Amino acid sequence: MQNNMIKISNLEKIYRTEEVETIALNKMNMEVKEGEFVAVMGPSGCGKSTLLNILGLLDDPNGGSFLFNGEEIAHYNERQRANLRKRTIGFVFQSFNLIDELTVFENVELPLIYTGVKASERKERVEAALDKMQIMHRRNHYPQQLSGGQQQRVAVARAVVNQPKLILADEPTGNLDSSNGNEVMALLTDLNDAGTTIVMVTHSEHDAKYAHRIIRMLDGQTVTESILREQL
Amino acid sequence: MFRNYFKTAFRNLQRNKLYSFINIAGLAIGIAVVILIGLWISSELSFNKSFKNYGHIVQIIQNDENGSNNGINTMSWMPIPAAVELRNKYGGADFKYIALSKESGPCILTFGDKRLSKNGMYAEPQFPDMFSLQMIAGTKSGFNDPSSIMINQSLAKALFGNADPIGKMIRIDNKNNLKVTGVYQDFPLNTNLYGISFLAPWDYLVADQSWVKAGYEQWDNNSFILYAQLGDRANMNQVGNAVKDLMKGKSDRRDKPELILQPMSQWHLYNEFKNGKNVGGAIKYVRIFGIIGLFVLLLACINFMNLSTARSQKRAKEVGIRKAVGSVRKQLILQFLAESVMTVCIALLIAVLLVQLALPWFDHLAGKEIHFPWDSVSFWGLTAGLTLITGLIAGTYPAFYLSSFNAVKVLKGAYKAGRFATIPRKVLVVFQFAVSVALIISMVIIFQQIQHAKDRPLGYDQNGLITIPMSTPDLYGKYDLLRNDLINSGAAVNMAEATNPATWVASHQIGFNWQGKDPNTRPVFGVIGVTPDFGKTVSWQFIKGRDFSRNFPTDSLGMILNEKAAALIGFKNPIGETIQFNGQNFHVIGVIENMIMESPFAESEPAVFLMDYNNAGYITVKLNPDMNPHHSLVEVGKIFRKYDPSAPFNYTFVDQDYAQKFTSEERIGSLATFFALFAILISCLGIFGLASFIAEQRTKEIGIRKVLGAKVSGIWMMLSKDFLWLVIISFGIAMPVSWYAMHHWLQNYDYRISISIWVFAITAVVTIMITLGTVSFQAIRAAAANPVESLRTE
Repeated sequence: MQNNMIKISNLEKIYRTEEVETIALNKMNMEVKEGEFVAVMGPSGCGKSTLLNILGLLDDPNGGSFLFNGEEIAHYNERQRANLRKRTIGFVFQSFNLIDELTVFENVELPLIYTGVKASERKERVEAALDKMQIMHRRNHYPQQLSGGQQQRVAVARAVVNQPKLILADEPTGNLDSSNGNEVMALLTDLNDAGTTIVMVTHSEHDAKYAHRIIRMLDGQTVTESILREQL
Repeated sequence: MFRNYFKTAFRNLQRNKLYSFINIAGLAIGIAVVILIGLWISSELSFNKSFKNYGHIVQIIQNDENGSNNGINTMSWMPIPAAVELRNKYGGADFKYIALSKESGPCILTFGDKRLSKNGMYAEPQFPDMFSLQMIAGTKSGFNDPSSIMINQSLAKALFGNADPIGKMIRIDNKNNLKVTGVYQDFPLNTNLYGISFLAPWDYLVADQSWVKAGYEQWDNNSFILYAQLGDRANMNQVGNAVKDLMKGKSDRRDKPELILQPMSQWHLYNEFKNGKNVGGAIKYVRIFGIIGLFVLLLACINFMNLSTARSQKRAKEVGIRKAVGSVRKQLILQFLAESVMTVCIALLIAVLLVQLALPWFDHLAGKEIHFPWDSVSFWGLTAGLTLITGLIAGTYPAFYLSSFNAVKVLKGAYKAGRFATIPRKVLVVFQFAVSVALIISMVIIFQQIQHAKDRPLGYDQNGLITIPMSTPDLYGKYDLLRNDLINSGAAVNMAEATNPATWVASHQIGFNWQGKDPNTRPVFGVIGVTPDFGKTVSWQFIKGRDFSRNFPTDSLGMILNEKAAALIGFKNPIGETIQFNGQNFHVIGVIENMIMESPFAESEPAVFLMDYNNAGYITVKLNPDMNPHHSLVEVGKIFRKYDPSAPFNYTFVDQDYAQKFTSEERIGSLATFFALFAILISCLGIFGLASFIAEQRTKEIGIRKVLGAKVSGIWMMLSKDFLWLVIISFGIAMPVSWYAMHHWLQNYDYRISISIWVFAITAVVTIMITLGTVSFQAIRAAAANPVESLRTE
């Protein structure tokens, strides 16, 4: 039996503006085991991206509990969250989110800089990540010079370069054609096979099938969970 | 980490060329202005500091209750007995050195066939030690010999070329020969002694001039400059208090003259006195320009802040990504600050270049000899500090603003600046324009004031008037011969002699009396001795009575009053009235309009004109208006050389001498213009950048509006209107502030303009036109673009 990496209980997130109050997460409960690949699905506005942002420590919940590797982190301050994030979590976004002013190499290097890795080691690790994503030959190019698929491979390389325990992917194939999309999904599956936990938000039933488990959400809550295959 | 920051910053600069240009150009100009002002201020503050005894040297001056007609007069002239008594009573511990001196005025110095007219100083023997003369040849001790002379390096070069000057004889004013005993380094430009080409012994002056010798017995002959150096352990205040009343009771003509020790540190920047109290002086310009310099730099910083925050959307994604991969806010703040400091460093390099290029021109404008201090550690230290502070000022607000973005929102692309996000930017633009407009208004008022004084009726005619100093004794006693020759030659239409030229008054005196005078007052009059032809030469204007005439022998005791004097004396009809002066009875024969002989900015002083053939120092000649002035001058020169062969023919045009009186104000005006122009340039750069950003941001809106039927003019109006409002608001702020400041400044002048509403109206129109011109370029470009293009790109 694997340990729970993530356990959230009664998690709440409410967005307030002057006129309206929107409940994005409504006492949501969820667990993710170490090494698991979970797909989160649901219609637009059901709260899946909010969930991912909270899991990624980019956003705080308004209430409830968030245990990460058994430790309560709902009350963490910005510095603590940033520290935990940069050591253990990698992100893959729908719109790639590469910095236009930095080259492929420099974009991938960025998380290592923030974790304080030495320059010589950074070079080794960035090159290893680029190699793995088969994008090494583009290391000195800028993001605008790459195709969408290539950009997403760079983004995945950036997500894994720090060897995170958890990768959060927000519609990673949303901006890609099907062949590029399949390539990215294959990369994620490989990473998961190597032991990385993955939580992926997606609209695509096709992509969701790569996961061990699908969580379907509606109005900020889990409505169904289906297990596709057993985690090894 | 920092390498990554700088890399991103540098690539951002490269990518956004227009904004980078605006930021860097604005900052470079701002820094260049601050460096120029800084160098100017440092030159002002270092005035006289090249003298080794800077901290101990004082000039002894006096407050005199009877010296002026309005309150206590502070004058820098002293009587000789005061120096003698100071030396007897306080020499040694209190005063290490005391030296009487007197400026020579232009003197003719002759060696062989070389003749030069130079200003020098007669001084007592302790003068060279006090002012730590840097000897190049000879010794200071030679100065004890009354027939010696010390000359500066430039004069030595001019008179003797490369030959050794020591021991050579120089003839002074074609009267006496003095032996050169020393050559000293020229006094630097930023000292009060600049331009003193020679030092001649005091004893020589005493022997040569009987009136100076007589001065040893006269407590009222305030004609000399008195320098002193405090003893090494003496305390300025204590010594000042001890000597304060030294002159009290020494003269029955004056109530309570009071001695003041004015330290060398005050000679240049704190030399104005009002009613006996020091009220500062040029230091106010040091402060004003210092503040203006900082404002100009601040305007450039504001451009940086505004453009950085306006374009924040472009940087928002980067902030989001960096946060997602583990950056904390502090690191982002640091990154953006590093970026602004880097931008400022680039601007600094350009600024240094600009300063180097502008210095000759700036020196000319400011009347200085400033060199770029390449080798000054303190200069570079201050510049580094300035760069860092500028970077922090420009970068702090954008850094905090940009780093505050919520990573989730910006990565979702949902980032939109709030409704109030543009308010700080608007406030900053208003501030920029308020400063610029205030500077423009001030500049216009300064020039109006100068022009007002230039247009002031002079009371005489300067056209074709030249002044020739009577330097040598050869001209004395030849008045009629010289005058006849000049008139007969056709080169001149008239000539007269006077105790001073038409552009200043040499002597102010008390001791006048008349029937009905309040015995408790001792009014001061300017006293000008003239030959009978003076009035006709300068074409003065009579209000009452008549001019001096050779036909009335009694005119030798005649007196002509100016209007001011007539008003002060108060006779209903002054003609024929008797006025006592120096024990003699004069009768008033005429009253003339006030002649502006002193400051064109001050009220005219009461003045009396007396007939005097014996004490003239200057000849005034009216050139023939029908003759080419160049030819007349050649003729006049020939005649002068005939009568005064030993002196070079040195003349000055009266109108040019008069124009000198505006130098200081014109300099202030030029500097103010210079700063105002840069302020408005930087502000315009800023709104140009903002306008292009807004046009870019609203491209889609403009496209939709055009598709729906909007005209180019309508869109132009829409885009320009916002900026126009800001400028109008800034005008509302600048107007009262500049009115207050300039009203205050004008109080320095008796003869002044009243500030006209037109200044504000015209400045408003000009500013609005400049704004519209700046904004319209972008607005019209955006409005004229094909809407299909802009909508398709969306």
